[in-house]
Amino acid sequence: MSKKTSENNLVNESIVQVVNKFKMSSDFIQYSDKNNNVQYWYSYFRTLIDTGTLQKMVIPALKDNNWQSLIELKNTIPIEEVLFTTDTNTIKDKLLDGYILITLTEYGVHCLLVKATLNKARDVSLPEVEFSVVGPKEAFVEAIETNINLIRKRIPDEKLRIRELQIGKLSKTKVAVLCIEDIVDEENFRTVVQRINEIEFDQISDSSFITQMISDNHNSPFPQLLDTERPDRVASILAEGKVGVMVDGSPHVLIGPTTLVEFFSAFDDYFYNWVNASFIRLVRLFAVAFSILVTPVYVATLSYHYELIPNDLLNTLVSSRREVPLPPLLEALFLELTIELLREAGARLPTKVGQTIGIVGGIVIGTASVEAGLTSNILLIIVALAALASFTTPIYAMGNTIRMLRFPFLLFAEWFGLLGIVLCFCFLTTHLLRLTSLGRPFLEPIYPPRTVDMKDALIRLPFSLMSKRPQQLRPKDPIRFSSKKARKNKDIDE
Amino acid sequence: MIKIAERFQVSHFLVFYLIHSLQFGVGVLGFQRIVSEKVGRDAWISVIIAGIMVHISLWMIYKILKNSGGNVTTVHRQILGKWIGGGLSACLALYFCLLAITVLRTYIEIVQVWMFPDLDVWVFTSVFLFLVFYIISGGFRVVTGITFFGVILPIYVLFTFLFPLEFSELNNLAPPLNHSLKEMAQSTKSMSLTIIGFEGLLVFYPFIKNPDKSKKWAHLGVAFSTVIYTLIMMVSLAYFSEEQLQKNVWATLTIWKIVEMPFVERFEYIGIANWCLIILPNVCLSFWCATRCLKDTFKVNQKIILVIILLGSFMVISLTQTREHINMLNDLVGQTGFYIMFGYIPCLFIINSIFRKVKGRKR
Repeated sequence: MSKKTSENNLVNESIVQVVNKFKMSSDFIQYSDKNNNVQYWYSYFRTLIDTGTLQKMVIPALKDNNWQSLIELKNTIPIEEVLFTTDTNTIKDKLLDGYILITLTEYGVHCLLVKATLNKARDVSLPEVEFSVVGPKEAFVEAIETNINLIRKRIPDEKLRIRELQIGKLSKTKVAVLCIEDIVDEENFRTVVQRINEIEFDQISDSSFITQMISDNHNSPFPQLLDTERPDRVASILAEGKVGVMVDGSPHVLIGPTTLVEFFSAFDDYFYNWVNASFIRLVRLFAVAFSILVTPVYVATLSYHYELIPNDLLNTLVSSRREVPLPPLLEALFLELTIELLREAGARLPTKVGQTIGIVGGIVIGTASVEAGLTSNILLIIVALAALASFTTPIYAMGNTIRMLRFPFLLFAEWFGLLGIVLCFCFLTTHLLRLTSLGRPFLEPIYPPRTVDMKDALIRLPFSLMSKRPQQLRPKDPIRFSSKKARKNKDIDE
Repeated sequence: MIKIAERFQVSHFLVFYLIHSLQFGVGVLGFQRIVSEKVGRDAWISVIIAGIMVHISLWMIYKILKNSGGNVTTVHRQILGKWIGGGLSACLALYFCLLAITVLRTYIEIVQVWMFPDLDVWVFTSVFLFLVFYIISGGFRVVTGITFFGVILPIYVLFTFLFPLEFSELNNLAPPLNHSLKEMAQSTKSMSLTIIGFEGLLVFYPFIKNPDKSKKWAHLGVAFSTVIYTLIMMVSLAYFSEEQLQKNVWATLTIWKIVEMPFVERFEYIGIANWCLIILPNVCLSFWCATRCLKDTFKVNQKIILVIILLGSFMVISLTQTREHINMLNDLVGQTGFYIMFGYIPCLFIINSIFRKVKGRKR
């Protein structure tokens, strides 16, 4: 009962009550003045409005003697967005959005809202996480308007559809869901919109919040939506038929449905000739496998199966491990944790100090721990290489996952040797098989095996072979361009 | 009638992996000794004969299920009624359970003998069965996925069978054909543990998106297994002498001993660890078939049945300690598989076709 009355009160609140409530904040300003005809009140949040607009456009119009009513005033003010309203809820929202409230009587019902929002946005700058040597050099910024502008410029087509939503009880974050009509599968689009609408959270600070809240499996260490800071990447992925999610205040745009292999493809891959690009992509995939498996294999072999290693290699290994008092698992854990510490410290510290830490960590701790006999230098090389390999992953979140995965593998390797590694691998594969991204299989095109989608998975084939959109997305229009025109078989000397 | 929603079904060509994976298990690691016991160097012929038998069986299975509107449990109920049919389905489920247990227990024995003599059987079994539970509770698509990887990833192992060719006597392969028909039949029968498993099709048939198209792939799967078996048998016959072959329980593993690469010696460690990937889908599929069979017969919750069956299997595996027990298990399953292939399936095929004809005439 009490709730209902309070809601009713809310509805019946007069402008005065709103203004009085806002006056509790010290940055809310109310002025009263009059010109020859009328007396007027205007109020605003000092911290939200652009004082230039107020001084140059609103106040001169107010002081002008040509107007009698608010309607007349509306035509005088040289600003596009001027609202004439009586709805207190709108008034509240707009005041909080940087509008100026103008009334003629202190207890009046009618009022005028004039937009004077202060837009302080960072300029579009270089991509830092997904930097590429060739190709476009712009990255998204925090302001959603700028971000949408960046995409619109790349897809000047009426089919680009943007649905704006608002989530977060406190933050009232603007979220835009993007897709290209006639290409995207409506079901994907609806799933995204529905899941975003279902979010119950008060403060949405970044797109990564949304990733965690709308992904299919909340307990998986794998990110199930791709996040990128490159407008060119978003534009080209939208053209494939995926759905993009932009969040105000976040320079990262989410894209789904995605697949595991997509996390290992950098956008650079499309800038180079397909042979080189495929080679680089294969190197990256090898790096992932290497990064996860090499230390566990070291632990498994040295703990259980040293017969596996040929004699000559075994001599080298044994002589480097002769002084080490620790079992292989502890030795490996010690070094892996050191690397993790260095990485974390490097990430927390300012860049300049961070570099110093890198040198101190890499050279001093590494060499010293070998000299002190805590670790063998072969393992040091292995761990350093594995760490290096994990940083080749283009999407930062996936790199973190890969570094984390090493630890369960290490434990299984210590438990059952090579057999343990295979078992852990089976667990991982099963987990990946069960994962979905917006309801679409995450391991596609490897499983379910779809040869058509293999053109841009483990390797990247030439553009002339990419005439079809990925099957995984079930696009409405699966044809990108006619492959017949693109491929012409010419005879010799013709 | 059993209707499976399309999002739970798998593409028809995946039947290749399903059938091949069900057949390919622990049998192949040591079938050479048993098969060549009676017929010596003619053994590879019996392997091929066994393969042909499987093709015929498979053809019958497709015929049985074609117009049944479900899987084998539906056929049982239609022909034999609720009680006898249900009992038969339960027996089939028990057989699949036994198959899975045998495969897993035999694999654990191999691990104990070749890799970890002091392996805690119950620890390994519980981890393995937990993995099986994790896979099966993901549904048939996940089971098929693991099957797919279980066939694709270890395929490189086939190349290791080329290593012994360097030390082989290829003349051993020329078949003397000096064995009686009875001996050949006996040796073909001893192949049964190695080739059985494809009966799983009886249960997962409704999960195939396009059963008619899948026929080709199922036969290809069987053919693939048969070719691999024949190749391994030929390599073994060429590499070992007849007496030597009789002394090696796990001849395939012994072959790996001579594999040598610049960075790897004693390949059998890698091979056995890798075989885990081959065993896993085999065990998963068998348990899946068993639980699905029970679900379709008695309308029970598959997850609960799965947990009960896995716990039971855990007990059985932990209790079978000695070589004799495991041998007994192997023989039992081999025998049952043999009777299923040569008795049960043909009988069902004949009864079913008569039943359909009579029913068709009545209409």
